[in-house]
Amino acid sequence: SSRRSSFPDEVLERVLSLLKSHRDRSSVSLVCKDWYNAERWSRTHVFIGNCYSVSPEIVARRFPKIRSVTLKGKPRFSDFNLVPENWGADIHAWLVVFAAKYPFLEELRLKRMAISDESLEFLAVSFPNFKALSLLSCDGFSTNGLAAIATHCKNLTELDIQENGIDDKGGSWLSCFPESFTSLEVLNFANLSSDINFDALERLVGRCKSMRVLKLNRSVSLEQLQRLLVNAPQLAELGTGSFSEELTFRQYVELESALSNCKNMHTLSGLWDAKGIYLPALYPVCTHLTFLNLSYAALRSDELAKLLAHCPRLKRLWVLDTVEDKGLEAVGLNCPLLEELRVFPADPFDEEIIHGVTEAGFVAVSFGCPGLHYVLYFCRQMTNAAVATIVQNCPDFTHFRLCIMNPGQPDYITNEPMDEAFGAVVKTCTKLQRLSVSGLLTDLTFEYIGRYAKNLETLSVAFAGSSDWGMQCVMGGCSKLRKLEIRDCPFGNAALLSGLEKYESMRSLWMSACNVTMNGCRLLAREMPRLNVEVMKEDGSDDSQADKVYVYRSIAGPRRDAPPSVLTL
Amino acid sequence: MELQLGLALPTPNMVKGFDLNNHGLDQLKEMGGLEAWNKAAGCFADKDCVKSKRSFEQAFGNFTEECRTKPLLLWSGQPNEEEDHQDQKKATFSTTDENDAEEDDQVVGWPPIKTWRKKIFQQQQQQQPRVGRAENNRLAENENGRSIHVKVKMEGVAITRKIDIKLYHSYQSLTNSLITMFAKDKKCDEDDYILTYQDKEGDWLIAGDIPW
Repeated sequence: SSRRSSFPDEVLERVLSLLKSHRDRSSVSLVCKDWYNAERWSRTHVFIGNCYSVSPEIVARRFPKIRSVTLKGKPRFSDFNLVPENWGADIHAWLVVFAAKYPFLEELRLKRMAISDESLEFLAVSFPNFKALSLLSCDGFSTNGLAAIATHCKNLTELDIQENGIDDKGGSWLSCFPESFTSLEVLNFANLSSDINFDALERLVGRCKSMRVLKLNRSVSLEQLQRLLVNAPQLAELGTGSFSEELTFRQYVELESALSNCKNMHTLSGLWDAKGIYLPALYPVCTHLTFLNLSYAALRSDELAKLLAHCPRLKRLWVLDTVEDKGLEAVGLNCPLLEELRVFPADPFDEEIIHGVTEAGFVAVSFGCPGLHYVLYFCRQMTNAAVATIVQNCPDFTHFRLCIMNPGQPDYITNEPMDEAFGAVVKTCTKLQRLSVSGLLTDLTFEYIGRYAKNLETLSVAFAGSSDWGMQCVMGGCSKLRKLEIRDCPFGNAALLSGLEKYESMRSLWMSACNVTMNGCRLLAREMPRLNVEVMKEDGSDDSQADKVYVYRSIAGPRRDAPPSVLTL
Repeated sequence: MELQLGLALPTPNMVKGFDLNNHGLDQLKEMGGLEAWNKAAGCFADKDCVKSKRSFEQAFGNFTEECRTKPLLLWSGQPNEEEDHQDQKKATFSTTDENDAEEDDQVVGWPPIKTWRKKIFQQQQQQQPRVGRAENNRLAENENGRSIHVKVKMEGVAITRKIDIKLYHSYQSLTNSLITMFAKDKKCDEDDYILTYQDKEGDWLIAGDIPW
């Protein structure tokens, strides 16, 4: 066939190399074969949202020039112990292929993957240009693996270890960075609990002049923090260590002075066990802060209020519910630019707690912060009217995650289901991408979601709904849905199968403790061969019940590394 | 005479069932003394408790909040002579000795808080009791004691649930939580359900005859 004159490949590749968004790149690759090829040759970063949707060989075949990989593994509910320990998502097979095909790999960002010390050692010695390692919610490794990274990765710029199930064998790994090593820009070991060699850390920070992110663990004291800051005033993000030991007046003044020299600091976290009396030391930093993470500091409302009076530019705030509604009122009063709020419960399993936050706090924030678009809110009571007010004040929500902690709890004033609350959310917030629902909910909630939430991509449901109809509404109405996770809902086979045509356009579906049976799953697997339908059985459950179901699209076929507890249908 | 189990760390749900006019308190004293019950229930009036914990009298005397749910369990001294046997369904549970230290949830994985964050809370609870609010040692107690996971099955519902009974301090809070959990599977009229359990010999007993 004749070819009209078009861009030379080199020009097209050059243009496409400027495209960063992987979604844009996916769109580009679908235009025509030439563009598909130009795109694949120019792609340097690949994002794989489900490690089992594709194989490392397929990735390497399509994209020859990758330098940076982001991989996500286990279903999100593994964060809450709903996934068996040995489920899979092991990185090693990927590393072996990468070592062969991408010897110049520079970055690896993993989320919910299993990674062993052997894999970390293999990584450390296989990629001479390796620069950035980020591990989020991963497990299977110990600090020995970190020692291997520190020892061998001569060009490392980033070591970010967050929220992992790490076997902390001690802090000596940090001393493994050679004295000649100066390239580190990001160091986050806040997750680790054991003491590190502070002298080694001090020297490391002192010689890494480009360091911009430093997140310490709890073992680092205030006095030690001051010594570090004196040598690193250029820091943009700081996670303090423990914020509570006794300081002399002189030590306090020195700390305040060191902090006030950090003119670039925009993110502050840590503040473990923060004592209210030392918080004023932070005031000079607060003026420029855009992200303040207080979720490890059990502050009272008055302590928070005093602090926030100095944080006019705050865009993101994470707090514990110890600040109560009064603390949230202070948020509304002091932080007009706020875009994201997360309120975590300090005592999540305590039924009798009469503190924490209520609907009043959330409403107060919504009045003061019209730009709010991301919220994660744990509370013990909520009303439909409050949520309606909140979204009226803040119509731009993209992420609305409300967790009323007692399962199936109604509007505590009217005793009605919370259907109208989430109805208001989806009707008003047209940009909504992510929604987590809670409280007593009937199928009406899901009718609303299916009818109005046209941009919804991620939906999390627990202890909700009345019948299959609820889930059918969602599957039929939410055209952009990509991730659906459901637990403890009365949705059965009819609901599961209503999404038959939809699952190939989604990343995954999770259903646990619902009414789905093995036969329903077998039917799905039979009708849709390009889906992997996996069932995890609980001990002692009925043979016919599909206790936990995980369905996802894959071009790699059924996985071969599933443990015995995971049945692939 | 009816003994209603509301004698736990009080929540609105439970205390409504506690009817002082019904001589419930006297009966309790007969059962082995308020002292023994207090110790079992987690200590209200015990002098050794941290003083910010509410006293028994304070907890029950001042309670005026309106309660929403009815008590689940109604039984008399002779459990087999209740009026309305026909409609009663059973919620049964058997102990299994699963001691996964990670799973200290009342309902597994709920509320949805990451494991590492829960560990941090527990560490903080132990190290720094908060001053000026009602002290609650529940998390600290759980940290020291093993979790005891039990499976709960409701008659007529296929799915078994798993809970850690170490997190409950009374039969009432346990059954309330179970009713909520199972409510989605069956329309649960709370009055229709009784809690039974299987002891070491394999016998099924009605829960509540012996102190928690």
